[in-house]
Amino acid sequence: MIGQGSIVRAENLRKIYRRGAEDVVAVDNVSFEVAPGEFLAIVGPSGAGKSTLLQLIGVMDNPTSGKMSIAGSEVSGLSDAARTRLRRETIGFVFQHFGLLPTLTVAENIGLPLLLSRERSRDRVEFLLERVGLAHRRNHRPAELSGGEMQRVAIARALVNQPRFLLADEPTGNLDSVNSAAILRLFQELRQDGLTIIAVTHNEEFARSADRRLTLRDGKVVS
Amino acid sequence: MLALAWKNLIRRPLRTLLTVTGLAVALALLVSIISFGEGYQRGLRRELDAMGMQMMLVPLGCPYDAAARVLKGRSLDSSLPESALDAARSDPDVALAAPIFAATMPRPAEGRTDLWVGVDETAQRMRPWWKLTAGSSFFQGEDSVLLGSEAAATELRKPGDRFYSPETGRSFRVCGVLERSGTSDDSQFFVPLATAQAMFKQPGRLTGIAIRLKDPARLKDASDRLQQVKGAQVVTVTEMIGVFLNLVGAARALIMAIAVITITISALSVFNTIMAGALERGREIGILRAIGFSRTDIFRLVAVESLALSLLGGALGTILAVIAGGMVESLARSYLPLASEVNLPPLTLSAVMQCLLLVLIVGLTAGCYPAYHASRQSPAQALRGD
Repeated sequence: MIGQGSIVRAENLRKIYRRGAEDVVAVDNVSFEVAPGEFLAIVGPSGAGKSTLLQLIGVMDNPTSGKMSIAGSEVSGLSDAARTRLRRETIGFVFQHFGLLPTLTVAENIGLPLLLSRERSRDRVEFLLERVGLAHRRNHRPAELSGGEMQRVAIARALVNQPRFLLADEPTGNLDSVNSAAILRLFQELRQDGLTIIAVTHNEEFARSADRRLTLRDGKVVS
Repeated sequence: MLALAWKNLIRRPLRTLLTVTGLAVALALLVSIISFGEGYQRGLRRELDAMGMQMMLVPLGCPYDAAARVLKGRSLDSSLPESALDAARSDPDVALAAPIFAATMPRPAEGRTDLWVGVDETAQRMRPWWKLTAGSSFFQGEDSVLLGSEAAATELRKPGDRFYSPETGRSFRVCGVLERSGTSDDSQFFVPLATAQAMFKQPGRLTGIAIRLKDPARLKDASDRLQQVKGAQVVTVTEMIGVFLNLVGAARALIMAIAVITITISALSVFNTIMAGALERGREIGILRAIGFSRTDIFRLVAVESLALSLLGGALGTILAVIAGGMVESLARSYLPLASEVNLPPLTLSAVMQCLLLVLIVGLTAGCYPAYHASRQSPAQALRGD
């Protein structure tokens, strides 16, 4: 039985894609939950269904069957507008390729989600610039940053709306070992601050630092 | 949102610049055409109204071409007998009949053609805008010449000076110089009617007679009677204005068609620029969707880019129209049969407003599909690799 106080709760999730005349089961009967403040690593070989599961947790797609609730709200069957609002208010996204807008400065990238909010807090951006150690880079463009710095900007942007949890897709996938270690430290600090983190990763050290790991194979949870 | 849209546009500066320039050129053309058309109609009515005439008696042939040439002092292959003037003056409804004999004098050495116009004392009454400069008077003998302001400036003559015409071997005394009126009179040489007829070896002939009626309501009766004068035909001012405006309308329609095609091409160019931008930024748009931009936000962002691009083209086009308006005006004048010489404003507010409205429509129309396409982008796009 799945607990009621979970940030993320999935029950018998299935996602089937149609590829030509064939049905592909990307996620097959997956159930799990993530408690507040927990750090969950989703691991598994390529093609195991990690990205599809990430899309479902990130409310980017609807499951074919099963139930998914985010912060206590059932999300299956929500309209696009409602899913967008949920993403904006509840989830902070960190992407493997950083996902920064090249025309904006570091500060502007961090403040991007605030464009949609009535409260445009410059203080919040300044606080996060300090938090990720990039205050001195606030007016630089992404092309002028290292990979590690870009990922720190992306993490700051993910935190700007004070989300209920961080959802990271291979956050160290494009980084060297030094920068990977720095990002891992930052995640651990965030975890210690009580933030819930769900990360898909191939990085064994990253996965080891998580509270728990969910291993997928052929769309199924194997451990 | 506007700042974000602007930064997206300047990401590809050359592409944006080319699109804006294309739109600006099309807009400038359109603004100039509309402005000129409006100004031309106003100027034409003002000039003909100022003459206070209701009709012209011209030689048989194309009556409108003849009237245009007579009004502008161009020579005609055919002419009227001077007896037509007697017939006009003896008509009970005619208040004033002003004879005109106009002929061109090529001056190959100077690279120009002068316009000589023979008139009598009625010319002053028919042209209320004539003002003589200080020391000037009307004709004081057969060798008098009254110079338009530009003609006087070209010949460097002032009242009292002698003036020799080598082409005709005649010597004139400048009896006066007209103040600048902004009409074709400015460039003409006015001499007594008999002198002009003798200079061009057409004694007793006229190129036209401008007629003012005692009562404009009697136009039809007077016209019917004067139509009977041998070798002459009547053209009323109302007919002339109507025909000229139709001719102008036809010319405008042609140029307008070119402008519309240009605008359409520009709209496609805006579409192409915005669509290419939206396609190139597929993953970025996916990221925006993932971090909470709704479909409406994305639609608005791309539509704002399209509008900004179009308004930029509109603004630049308006500036271009101010600069190039004179050129369009000269070009249009050279093809029009009766171009008002009154200075026309190259730009009118209504033309600018019409064109800016068109620009807004172009921007919105061209940006609609790319904006819709971008707004359908899935947030899952953000998770895809390169």
